[in-house]
Amino acid sequence: MSGLRALLGLGLLVSSGSRLVAAAGGGRCPVQRGPPAGIWGAGRGRSSSAMQNPGRSGVKYLSQEEAQAIDQELFTEYKFSVDQLMELAGLSCATAIAKAYPPSSFTKSPPAVLIVCGPGNNGGDGLVCARHLKMFGYEPSVHYPKRPSKALFEGLTTQCQKMDIPFLSEFPSEAMLIDELYGLVVDAIFGFSFKGAVREPFGSILRTLEQVTVPVASIDIPSGWDVEKGSPDGIQPDMLISLTAPKKAAQHFAGRYHFLGGRFVPRALQQKYSLNLPPYPETDCILQLP
Amino acid sequence: MSCPATQSGEQIEPLRYLSRLEAEAIEKELLEDYKFGRQQLIEIWGHASAMAVTKVFPLPSLPRKQPTVLVVCGPHQNGAIGLVCARHLRVFEYEPTIFYPKRSPNSLYRDFTTQCEKMDIPFLSYLPTEVQLINDAYNVVIDAILGVDAEPGEVKEPYTSILATLKQIQIPIVSLDVPSGWDVEMGNSEGISPDVLVSLAAPKQCATRFLGRHHFLAGRFLPYDVQKKFELNLPEYPGTECVVSL
Repeated sequence: MSGLRALLGLGLLVSSGSRLVAAAGGGRCPVQRGPPAGIWGAGRGRSSSAMQNPGRSGVKYLSQEEAQAIDQELFTEYKFSVDQLMELAGLSCATAIAKAYPPSSFTKSPPAVLIVCGPGNNGGDGLVCARHLKMFGYEPSVHYPKRPSKALFEGLTTQCQKMDIPFLSEFPSEAMLIDELYGLVVDAIFGFSFKGAVREPFGSILRTLEQVTVPVASIDIPSGWDVEKGSPDGIQPDMLISLTAPKKAAQHFAGRYHFLGGRFVPRALQQKYSLNLPPYPETDCILQLP
Repeated sequence: MSCPATQSGEQIEPLRYLSRLEAEAIEKELLEDYKFGRQQLIEIWGHASAMAVTKVFPLPSLPRKQPTVLVVCGPHQNGAIGLVCARHLRVFEYEPTIFYPKRSPNSLYRDFTTQCEKMDIPFLSYLPTEVQLINDAYNVVIDAILGVDAEPGEVKEPYTSILATLKQIQIPIVSLDVPSGWDVEMGNSEGISPDVLVSLAAPKQCATRFLGRHHFLAGRFLPYDVQKKFELNLPEYPGTECVVSL
């Protein structure tokens, strides 16, 4: 530590826009942080029973407003770009899927996955996820009926197309057809901004997804669900990948696998919103919640 | 998958080492044909570089009491990749410090700087020339100064002095893509000797002159058609990893 103090003493540390400006020259080690960071393998975790009940020590389930506020802050205060965070989010989704549904677990070979992308950022997450699934050895197909004319989404679409990921022009009309062709469906239709009525073609798509027997993995929010209250009549996914932090709807999730992904929330932001996120294992970009 | 490996996983065809022109052509194709965004690529590479660092220097293995890492960033893309690498190391609970003497005016790269600042990653105002200070304060140095786009033989200040300092330090150096100060193809026998080289997407020709302990390939996103077109013969990445040891 003495070397670092020497650097501090020489007034070498400069950090604008950060709380450390006050610390420099004060002899305090700038690398001291809030609660001590755990080192790996220490088996430090919160008790699993605390997870589902958002008590004092449990992970926080966000309201729609909080989710939107955190998102806004990541972009306006922290200056993350949508491109960056979407890439990390999509990678988390693909990694979680590969963990729960490895290619060897598929009855068909090659392991075919259908990704249904909605008209907003959740759809973008789906496109990134599709691309990474391809790199992991899956055979993804995408259905992307409503595409925003923004460079970000056009770019992500091109990346997938140029990687020979087929884009279905029509959604399979019957659940049985989906069960026949694919071993898994990824629901990337609606995310945490969803409000109000489901517009076509997504109403029909979701009704079909309610009937499929192959597992459905939802990105962030099971599509069609109220972001806070859930939906007993809607799709019942087998997997939910909550991005950043789980939303209140996740409390109604009854599937087998709940993962947390999107490992990019700065510690200060976590503290500001009292997210109480459990520690991610080592360098993993996903964390399985009980 | 079209990865050319036998059942036992051995390479049939040897890994290709790229010339500067080929490396630039690949990047051009990714940006113009595949419509990857530059920020997207930098994020992918920075994240993968951080993963590579953690493979060689896992947190519990670091000799110093604090898991400090010095990240030296140059003015162009390689530096931006270093900033993203630093940020991910911070997420992984390392304690990076950045030295970024000439900040890029490019607004894309400015945001990367802000992200690091807002995550409480300190920025040094100058690099001590007293090598022992660096040896004492940090466990590892990440060299993110110059990449493929560096003009050979035209390294200017402050980088000549920085590289002279790095030549003398005794802690390991991890170079991102190209050891800074090396010619992309010919290397540099007078230059720095990194302990670890993290080749981004595919190794460059100078990597054949790399004598350090670990060489990683990082960034698992290259479309198979690009790999085939440039005959890269990349090895298989294990599981869902984004880095592979060469």
